[in-house]
Amino acid sequence: MQLSFTPIKGTSRKYKVLVAVLAVLALTGIVAYMVSYLEGLRLWGINNSVSWGQLITVDIFFIGLSAGSLVVSSLVYVFGQERYKPIGRMAVFMGLLLMIGAMVCVLTDLGRPEKMWRLFMYGYLSNMKSMFAVNGIFYAGYIGLLVAYLAAALANSKLTKVIAPVAVLWAILVHMGTGAIFGFIETRGIMYSPLKPVEFISAAFASGLALVMLLSYVTLKLGKRPISKDMYVSLGRMLIVLIIVLVVLVVTDKLTHFYPPARESVLFLTQGPWSWIFWGMQVTLGYVIPLIILCHPKWGKTVKGIMIACLICVIGIFGERMGIIFPGLSQPLQYYPGEIEGVWGVRGGFPIMPAETLMTVGIFSLLGLMYVLGLKFLQLLPTAGSEGTADEGSEATAEQKALAAEGGTT
Amino acid sequence: MAKWGMIIDLDKCVGCQACSLACKSENNVPHGSPHEWKRHQDLYWHKVIAVTEGEYPTVNTQIIPMPCMHCEHPPCVNVCPAKATYQRGDGIVMQNFRRCIGCRYCIIACPYGSRNFNFKDQADEEYDRPDLPPDLDLSYVGHIGPWPYPRRTRGVVEKCTYCFHRIDQALEKGVDIGSPDGVVPACVEACPAEARFFGDLDDPESEVSRLLATRNSFKLREEMSTHPKTIYLPR
Repeated sequence: MQLSFTPIKGTSRKYKVLVAVLAVLALTGIVAYMVSYLEGLRLWGINNSVSWGQLITVDIFFIGLSAGSLVVSSLVYVFGQERYKPIGRMAVFMGLLLMIGAMVCVLTDLGRPEKMWRLFMYGYLSNMKSMFAVNGIFYAGYIGLLVAYLAAALANSKLTKVIAPVAVLWAILVHMGTGAIFGFIETRGIMYSPLKPVEFISAAFASGLALVMLLSYVTLKLGKRPISKDMYVSLGRMLIVLIIVLVVLVVTDKLTHFYPPARESVLFLTQGPWSWIFWGMQVTLGYVIPLIILCHPKWGKTVKGIMIACLICVIGIFGERMGIIFPGLSQPLQYYPGEIEGVWGVRGGFPIMPAETLMTVGIFSLLGLMYVLGLKFLQLLPTAGSEGTADEGSEATAEQKALAAEGGTT
Repeated sequence: MAKWGMIIDLDKCVGCQACSLACKSENNVPHGSPHEWKRHQDLYWHKVIAVTEGEYPTVNTQIIPMPCMHCEHPPCVNVCPAKATYQRGDGIVMQNFRRCIGCRYCIIACPYGSRNFNFKDQADEEYDRPDLPPDLDLSYVGHIGPWPYPRRTRGVVEKCTYCFHRIDQALEKGVDIGSPDGVVPACVEACPAEARFFGDLDDPESEVSRLLATRNSFKLREEMSTHPKTIYLPR
């Protein structure tokens, strides 16, 4: 099966408006960052209790999506599943973009970003016992590999077959390393778990696949390219398996920590003030609703149903990331048995501050901007009418617009 | 080499917070506004917590002053990616502001909440104290650590240093450390109840060793296996 790829023309009014809106939002984010760099991080919601905030949440979310996208691309370039080829290039491109976004997040989150080169001194000036510094190797290598991977995929080079397996294994390493950043910290009961790296990679697979399905569908639809319904239905089945694996891991993790006498952290997560993140976002949106839709005999067979499940799943996995950072850090540290009075015993709060939020929105928009520009200047999309298609073709315009907006900001 | 440790006698502590104040003025720790205090964005190298158990009339409130524990196995040193936090040979856990990249990973790893992030530039009128600490500035020959900075930089993590500048200066001059008329950290010096003791835990003759041998003692969060060198004598 020979599939040709062509970029979109990008001359329509809608496209220009989308680019302009994303550019303005990205610019706002940059201005917000400049202001908060000059003024200090007091402009953000972070504080000495919840010392990691929105940007780190988005960071691990992006790293997960990136690893997941690469796994989707591996279906094409490692396992040679030709039917997924239409979205292969997009998946690699998304993987690269999301990783760049994650790096932007983690570097702008530093208190002294001009010293970030210290992270990449690999043992000379960095402490290799720190999972953060170890991840410096993973991240730098990953971006290099991704660029090579994308270049090879775009050139239809034979090298793709060599780079793809390395890149995918490296992506798994990257994400397990990121999980280890959290999982190795015994102080924070909600984070501390040997399962955390595995849970991270599992969540990455599920959310990454869901995002690639959603974004590629929206792109193909708006770019008026052929859409293969069978491909999405089979990817949807794969999503079911990945979500179930994730549910098993999360249940094992939480149940293990629920079982022994020291169970405060799980109780704080599931019944504390942040429990809406766990039950409302992570469990309901991340697992239950997507599983119901995907397993439903009718909804699970329609592209529309699958796409809604994907959207909800991506939002739910974002909730899972929030459920690591915010409850994990705001749980008060029990310095001494008893009730600690005053400011040292209260749980940490996290106000939504404008500068930080604008930066978050800005980073999302920056990625969206790079994505839509990539569609115009790189050969990512399959050529219109090159393949036999099973177009759904009966979707409401409002639905499309909503999906497009979501796609644009993700 | 000495192994510096601090002993706090909770039986003598009256909870007056003189130690917190002395720490702030000695180390030129930035002040915080009430707004920052509410947001938990102000800096404390030393804090005093009150822990209540039971309800009236069978109530018991324990006042616990908490400097950095200077753990023998400090989790913060393990997680710092930039080698900004390190343990000196004498066991003091230090923070090098010049190396710190401000990732705040150590705040997350510290089980005692001893670490604080500096969220803003210092305002000149508020706490620019180039005169502090008194006899020591960057031109001082024996100066081996990052402190003292006459001015603070924002965007880095700060923590208690057991007033290492005092210790180093005393070692240089050959003054006794830890004895009643010797050199001690500012919080020990300021304690009106004489509830704090500082000295060499390895030296069997020192006051701290004698107290540890004769009195019952405990450490905070021993289940974390951090082996703190700030040790408490129970009430």
